[in-house]
Amino acid sequence: MKTRIALFGALREADASGAVELEVPAGSTIAELRELLVTHLAAHAPLVSAGLVRRCAFATDEEILHNHRPVPEGVALAVLPPVSGG
Amino acid sequence: MDGLHVAVVERGEGALDVAAALEFVADPRFGGIASFIGRVRDHNVGRSVTGISYDLFVPLALNRFRAIGERALMEVGAPLKLWIAHAKGRLAIGDIAVVVAAGTPHRDEAFRACRLAIEAVKHEAPIWKQEHYVDGDSAWSEGCSLCEEDRAHTHAAHGHGH
Repeated sequence: MKTRIALFGALREADASGAVELEVPAGSTIAELRELLVTHLAAHAPLVSAGLVRRCAFATDEEILHNHRPVPEGVALAVLPPVSGG
Repeated sequence: MDGLHVAVVERGEGALDVAAALEFVADPRFGGIASFIGRVRDHNVGRSVTGISYDLFVPLALNRFRAIGERALMEVGAPLKLWIAHAKGRLAIGDIAVVVAAGTPHRDEAFRACRLAIEAVKHEAPIWKQEHYVDGDSAWSEGCSLCEEDRAHTHAAHGHGH
């Protein structure tokens, strides 16, 4: 399935469109999605460090999805670098 | 939670309103109001800063602000009105980046609710700060990971002075 992932903060620089779309095997977990994103960005945005992506969280509009959670089908996700509000 | 106002304000559409926040949390039952106002300062870690751009994932940020409000209500254990608003977009030195105001019956509850809310906004809400420097360079702040595995490793190691 195709999963759209919106980019924020330092990761916005990885794609001018503000999002990437990945082909994700059905039944994948968030941990597996993270590795797919690391691989995708290594090829398409080599300036983004894999270390940063590994410190990122994934989320829907409503909640953060931790590593063990399945990637929801047909739902747009966001990848969230470490936060620095206030 | 009644008495909770959460907002993300686009810089181009207006500024954060401190007077409105204090008015919102006022109540005949309440003798104490505490507020925190975060403004853009002109330096960070030895570099001269000319401004900050804030990026937010708005729907989740508002959801987090509401959850923070519920938590503050539970922790304080007293009637509470709470205002949490954060700016989005490019801000100049002195612009207001964040406003938290808490109204409660007594001062201790107000201070505790306000402190809890601003710390949670800084460490848990999907907000990113990009500093712009005098020399034309820009950098995203390092920040605090929302990934549970990473939090378990790093939270013990740093004291959250940011």
